[in-house]
Amino acid sequence: MVNDWLTHFADWLGTTGLTGLVAGTFWIVPALQTLHILAVAVVLVGTLFINLRIIGVLERGQSVDAVVDRFMKPVMMALLVLAFSGGLLVAAEPTRALFRSLFWIKLGLIVLATLLTLSHRAVTVTVNAAKTAQPIKPMRKAAALLSLMLWIGVISAGRWIAYVEAWQGAPS
Amino acid sequence: MSMTQRLSDFAFWVADTDLSIFLTDVPWAFPTFETVHVISLCLVFGSIMIVDLRLLGLASTARPAGEVIQATLPMTWIGFAGAATSGAVLFCANPIGYSENFYFLGKLALLALAGANMVFFHLFVQRQLADQHAWMPRISGGISLALWTVIVGFGRWIGFTL
Repeated sequence: MVNDWLTHFADWLGTTGLTGLVAGTFWIVPALQTLHILAVAVVLVGTLFINLRIIGVLERGQSVDAVVDRFMKPVMMALLVLAFSGGLLVAAEPTRALFRSLFWIKLGLIVLATLLTLSHRAVTVTVNAAKTAQPIKPMRKAAALLSLMLWIGVISAGRWIAYVEAWQGAPS
Repeated sequence: MSMTQRLSDFAFWVADTDLSIFLTDVPWAFPTFETVHVISLCLVFGSIMIVDLRLLGLASTARPAGEVIQATLPMTWIGFAGAATSGAVLFCANPIGYSENFYFLGKLALLALAGANMVFFHLFVQRQLADQHAWMPRISGGISLALWTVIVGFGRWIGFTL
């Protein structure tokens, strides 16, 4: 069922002209992949600063607020660039990612990791509203560690999509 | 003996090593080192970008450039160590192919340029950081950001031209 539905979707993507454009122009896919990796670098390093500050490894001289403020916007902007370049890469080769479980696992991990990253902002706002300096709770440090591991999982999944087997009966 | 000949001899020697045979025989080996390479290069590029944007006066301007550099440089070096090691291992998977690839050789040359830019920065430019109107730090940051962007691009192009 899902396979049929995705096959129709992939067929439709193939008729949008994007696939033809990319097939005829050598540099588009590597250029999009380069843009994708550069944006991944922004997300990884930005979330690393936020999460490692919460855990207490980096930037101890700065408040958690300051570090979250400094990196949240670039991270969210880079996520938009990733959605855009990733979407184009799927459209460019519709049969490559859609029929591999790892692609969908990656999307799930991205949702979780993004929500956890955004939760740091929510906690910062709550703590500020209380107007007292509070120590960072162990649960929050655990969330930061989990978020960090999720982002590394997302990147790893991204690289392995090219190597794992497609579903049985998927169009080649 | 010419440079090309030496490189070619080296590539043929590497192709016979156990590591090279391991990388071609074991299906999970290459993607695993590739994953380490991607994560490491993201650490390098992302952390260098923080410093370069500060030097250009485009980000982190609330803090002195020297402080930003100090807080960020450890991440750059950890990333660079990971990228250089995993990169050397990946080379062993196809030494002859890589040593004849334009983008691979170009990437090595650009890495040397980025290194030279960094040495020049530490020797001559860093002392000007206190002066907010100094233009050398801006130029240094701009060159660095451009070089590293092209380096990542060349790296991706290797995979398409082998």
